[in-house]
Amino acid sequence: MSGSLQNLSGLDRVIHEPARLMLVALLSSVESADFLFLLKESGLTKGNLSVHLSRLEEAGYLRADKTFQGKIPHTEYSLTAKGRTAFNEYRKKLDPIIRRRH
Amino acid sequence: MDMQIDTALKRARGYWFIDGFTEMAAGGLIVILAGILLLSGYAPRASFAGWFLSVTSEIAIAKLVGILAAILILWWLKDHFTYPRTGFVRGKQVTATQVLVIIRNVILFLFLPILALLAAALLTASARNVLASMPAWFPVGLGLIWGGAYLLGGEWMGLLRFRLLAVMMVLAGIAIGVWQFAIGLPTFPSNIQSGIFQPIVLETINRTLISLGFLILISGVILMISGLVTFLRYQKENPTPYTEES
Repeated sequence: MSGSLQNLSGLDRVIHEPARLMLVALLSSVESADFLFLLKESGLTKGNLSVHLSRLEEAGYLRADKTFQGKIPHTEYSLTAKGRTAFNEYRKKLDPIIRRRH
Repeated sequence: MDMQIDTALKRARGYWFIDGFTEMAAGGLIVILAGILLLSGYAPRASFAGWFLSVTSEIAIAKLVGILAAILILWWLKDHFTYPRTGFVRGKQVTATQVLVIIRNVILFLFLPILALLAAALLTASARNVLASMPAWFPVGLGLIWGGAYLLGGEWMGLLRFRLLAVMMVLAGIAIGVWQFAIGLPTFPSNIQSGIFQPIVLETINRTLISLGFLILISGVILMISGLVTFLRYQKENPTPYTEES
């Protein structure tokens, strides 16, 4: 097995799922974002989005800060240091694979 | 897949510009600053030093008050219009080191070359000619720098309209340069060391400021129009705040 394909098998499964990858990518270039922003940008359904956010939170890649705006609950999501490192590592591993395939 | 990641990164970075408010606010502030510069450029003056102090202090005050007002207005508009429609994003905080790098780059690539040219103009005849033609080349150079900044910013945030803004800024700079050249450039005497405040030097400075004023004015108007078009499109795509049913 070539080195690049071995890299493929070592990709982080939590991030590798397309919807979660999109969410992590969106959050990686900002400090934090709320549920509505992620919903609009990802194009996921509310249920799906909640599931993926929970999965990322369980992995320790995401932090959810819950506050209230008046009487309305407001949740902001941000990547943890672990999440940022995992995303950067994922991109580093993916980059040579994509280069080799083209 | 890497392309999708890149698109997602850019979309989040460019979210601050999604509704056009930022461009409209920045454009409005720039138009006010250009107005001060142009009014000062055409106003009669008793002494150069007094006039210079007056202009710089007026611009500094307008900048300070304008930026504070723009931040408050933007904050309110986004809070009441944008965030209920497409969500809230908190941008990455700029660190002190990043601010220092920006200041260093502005000094290195903008102010130092101009100061070096002014200093060289006092020493050599060819540099004097360059200084004399400053009202023509300065707006062209600044238009190019400004256009380059729009282009780089647009690529970084995935905002295609910034390419158009970049082209318009370059064209505006060239147009002002051609206009200044067409009305005739000041002719410098062979020796200007005897007094930097002699009329011909002051005329050059004044005409350069007027060129700058027009370039800033055009830039502000372009930004306001771009912001307005973006706002209308955003409003059409997101007519009402998000609800559970929408």
